Amino acid sequence: MEQLLVPMICKIDKVIQETPDIRTYRLKFKEEGLTEKFKWMPGQFVEFSLLGSGECTFCIASSVTRKGYFDCSVKRAGIVTADIHSGLEEGDEVGIRGPYGNWFPLEDIKGKNLLFVGGGIGLAPLRSLIQYCIDNRNDYKDFTILYGARTSADMCYKEEIKEWQDNKTLKVILTIDKPEETWTTNVGVVPKILEEVVKPVIENTKVITCGPPIMIKYTIQSLLKLGFADKDIITTLEMRMQCGLGKCGRCNIGSTYVCKDGPVFTNEQLKRLPDEF
Amino acid sequence: MNVEIFVTDKAGLQKFYEAIIARNETWAPVEKFGKFDFKRVSSLGECDPDSPIATTRSAKPLFFPRSAKIMKYTADSTGTRVKETDEDPFTAKRVILGMKHCDARSLQVLDKVYNWDYIDNDYQKRRQNTVVISTRCDKAETHCFCTSLDYDVENLDAMDVLIVNGTEGKVHITARTEKGDAFLKENLDPASCILHPVSDEELKKQYQAFAASFRLKMNYKEINEKLSKIFDSPEFEDVSANCISCNTCAFVCPTCHCFKISDERVKDTGVRYKSYDSCNNGYFTLMAGGHNPRPVKYRRWRQRALHKFVYYKERFGENLCVGCGKCAVSCPVNISIFEVVNQVASNEVV
Repeated sequence: MEQLLVPMICKIDKVIQETPDIRTYRLKFKEEGLTEKFKWMPGQFVEFSLLGSGECTFCIASSVTRKGYFDCSVKRAGIVTADIHSGLEEGDEVGIRGPYGNWFPLEDIKGKNLLFVGGGIGLAPLRSLIQYCIDNRNDYKDFTILYGARTSADMCYKEEIKEWQDNKTLKVILTIDKPEETWTTNVGVVPKILEEVVKPVIENTKVITCGPPIMIKYTIQSLLKLGFADKDIITTLEMRMQCGLGKCGRCNIGSTYVCKDGPVFTNEQLKRLPDEF
Repeated sequence: MNVEIFVTDKAGLQKFYEAIIARNETWAPVEKFGKFDFKRVSSLGECDPDSPIATTRSAKPLFFPRSAKIMKYTADSTGTRVKETDEDPFTAKRVILGMKHCDARSLQVLDKVYNWDYIDNDYQKRRQNTVVISTRCDKAETHCFCTSLDYDVENLDAMDVLIVNGTEGKVHITARTEKGDAFLKENLDPASCILHPVSDEELKKQYQAFAASFRLKMNYKEINEKLSKIFDSPEFEDVSANCISCNTCAFVCPTCHCFKISDERVKDTGVRYKSYDSCNNGYFTLMAGGHNPRPVKYRRWRQRALHKFVYYKERFGENLCVGCGKCAVSCPVNISIFEVVNQVASNEVV
């Protein structure tokens, strides 16, 4: 067991300050050739350690189709993430274990319309799948991204969102919670914009959503109201994890190990879990 | 099945113990202030393999150490280097003497979680290298309820060698596994024993006398069934009210296996540890940012009770409880898992 918990060392290739409290760390393995061998599926996560502070669970925020690196976006929220923000810069080294967990159901979403609904840092796991799907664009039909944040400054991946907006095959809808002087598009919480502005096609559409727990809750309510089936709503759960190997018991919800059976679940699966997440 | 049983007397048993301790790395219950704990021993005088009461803690730390080093590391301006730690202290071949049946049985329960998906090789190795020798208790202690949880003559392969006190000062020694068989061939002096075939019937009789001494009895299948439907029971608040969240129950429990990973770093070097943790801890599921799915005590107790009697069973087909009563014996506020599950199960939510 202990050997399975020993991380591999990665070097920070680049740090991107996404928002005042979110940074993206672009990572490469220190050992030659390992970066090329490291394969993951969109939706999987890694255990990221800042030696001395501890380990944190982060989803891999980039797609395996973008070769030569992988991204972890870190929001300053607790003890380790605060240390990461204040202590880690380009060239520094961190420990990585993984990839762990299941992934978005790539076979199920093939040939479908895709609707991504993200809020705040919740865009990070979606970004891995969005990039993957953009790089395999012909496999999917309509492609819509709805992304909301508290303020325009709190939006992650601003540069990349511009690229998505320039991509004629994608429909990108952004929203912020409260009006701002320079903001010219939607204002309002994500579920409201979903119902009033996006008005998605229900037939043949898969919705992939992630955000703060409260946003996920109301987004799912809206989606169900719009007529989506539980099996077509896919989300990824945030749960305290530690080993990532289905042993330490921390991420248990009922008999489910979120680190092994998840973190990706359909709403159909979530409804069967005890209400404890 | 007819099994070969070596019959000897108390003196022959003492000789057997002495031979084991002389030839093997042996761990056995050692008394201190009226309580017993497993210690490495080098002579029979130090320990009591037939301890009159069960050890306070189980033998779990010999398979799943309380705190294990995952790695050492150095991180300075020249880079980061990770060094896997020294040899596992528990890979040597060894014998655990005087492990009660409940304790031995717990290893079979733990095998399930350590052997699914990612295999815990250290645990496996420690299991393979260990010969477990159990003495059947003569009678139950106050909090024992192992007979209610699958302890019967059909299920005696939990230990490698079983010792039972028979009538008229006779002692029966049986190998219950191939490993136990080989061990007896090596360590038991046949001259001090009579070889007997003993029938299931005879074993059953011995067992029934022991089973009759139990104060606590329950039907676990009924408990499984009822608990699976009472997630919203208000009884959880009542049963957990006295709990002081000290986690003692989890640390002495032979089947609790939750752990945490923590770092200790001084300047440029540090150690990462894997140590026991418990779902009764308030911070167990606390996430960065403050969200906690189990923010209050009754929810944590609900997790504890249901993990033991519903969730683990759903996932791995076994109760995560062997009825040893160690949690109740050590609990500072007298909470007993037996009472908790029975109280909750008998107050069905309408």
